[in-house]
Amino acid sequence: MLEAPIPSQNESRANQAFDALLMSLSRPGDVQVLPVAGEQTIVEALLDRECRVYCADPMLMPGVLATGAMIAEADAADHVFFGNTIDPATLAQIRVGSDLYPDDGATVILRAVLGSGPRLCLSGPGIEHTKEVSLGGLPSGFWEQRRERIRYPMGFDLFFVDGDRVMGVPRSTQVEVL
Amino acid sequence: MSLSSLTKDWEPMSYGFLDASAKREIRRKMLKAVAVPGCQMPYASREVPMARGWGTGGLQVSLTLVNPKTTVKVIDQGADDSVNAASIRRFLARVSGAPTTLDTLEADLIQSRHRIPEEKLRADQVLVLQVPNPEPLRPVQPNMSIARQMHADADYGRMWLQLYEQIVRSGRVMQGASYPSLVNGRHVMTPSPIPRWDVPKLHMAEHLTILSAGREKRLHAVPPFTRVEPLVFDDVPYKVEEHGELICGRSGAKGFFMNEIPQDDGTSTYEISDSDYGVKTIRQAEGAQVHLGETWYKNGELS
Repeated sequence: MLEAPIPSQNESRANQAFDALLMSLSRPGDVQVLPVAGEQTIVEALLDRECRVYCADPMLMPGVLATGAMIAEADAADHVFFGNTIDPATLAQIRVGSDLYPDDGATVILRAVLGSGPRLCLSGPGIEHTKEVSLGGLPSGFWEQRRERIRYPMGFDLFFVDGDRVMGVPRSTQVEVL
Repeated sequence: MSLSSLTKDWEPMSYGFLDASAKREIRRKMLKAVAVPGCQMPYASREVPMARGWGTGGLQVSLTLVNPKTTVKVIDQGADDSVNAASIRRFLARVSGAPTTLDTLEADLIQSRHRIPEEKLRADQVLVLQVPNPEPLRPVQPNMSIARQMHADADYGRMWLQLYEQIVRSGRVMQGASYPSLVNGRHVMTPSPIPRWDVPKLHMAEHLTILSAGREKRLHAVPPFTRVEPLVFDDVPYKVEEHGELICGRSGAKGFFMNEIPQDDGTSTYEISDSDYGVKTIRQAEGAQVHLGETWYKNGELS
């Protein structure tokens, strides 16, 4: 009988981080826990040489470069890391894919304050009726801009990171600011 | 910067068989599949030590999700003990060290070929379905570029026409398995060749379902609490198989999806398709302490 393999530290971190991402995206508004605080585990779980990345956070840049991902402008990137500074002009350029290939829409990772700030009402797939969440640290007009840019199935998918907590809002979710 | 900081430590083999870059690609595509429920996302579909068309798509998704704490259950047409299910289960356990189970209630990850278990799946469980043909439009449009354009335009008129023609010719909808269903009101998907009996189980379910076709290199997903509506006409209601009154010849379970077993004298007996549920029913009848979970169908009726 072969010995059961043991996952390396990298492998189990990536596995846990992806588990948190998948669960948070399939249940928008639910908070999941990343293995380590910050975006680094997300970078390791998702990015490699096949990705084009826009990274606005200089602290995150070494980690992104180490994956071999290509650095690109926001309008060509499939993964966008905003860090703390969310620039509405950049948000307006993010790729939304096409009706033929909705998977070309970008995955956007940004920092926010989970559990305080403006109240939002979420509905859509993954939510039984509606769900109310508080989300702070976003520029004013963020949700209006998102609504204008998304024409389902075209759109981008958001992950809000706060320390080691993450919350997903896919393009299929309707967000109402209360 | 040194060479050791640029490379990873040597390992005899990748954990979970797939190499890290294959996993990252499947992860990216799974996120997109969840974000656009029912839309088919192309992926590379790596080689696994199994022939394409025997569950390699489901296997790759399972290998990406699995870790040493995931309890794995694998079923093939409802049975835990068929060759396909047993080999996939043994392979998954061997390359990941994950514990395996036959009990639906104990499993974290359920890989299935063509059935959804009779016991309700919970929010913490993930169902991975193996898909032979992910394109519901293929019978009406063999050109996959045109089919993609039809999905983009939500142009499903021909699907309705196909159903209409079946009703006109045969008096009923002849589609037995992989009944085309509208997901989240936008994309028509094939729910993989699960019987009509199982399709309502996906509608507003608590669990996440990922459907992956290894040979066709596409995956799609049904997130929890997502509308999955079989295509039906207003005046011709959706019908599941008439198995509600059938009784399993071995376990005595009634009101579940059955396998028909033809007899020499031309009659048939029936046996419950979800083998683990049958085993649990038998053990309960023998007086053992078994926990039968809540089922989607109660007394043969969807609850």
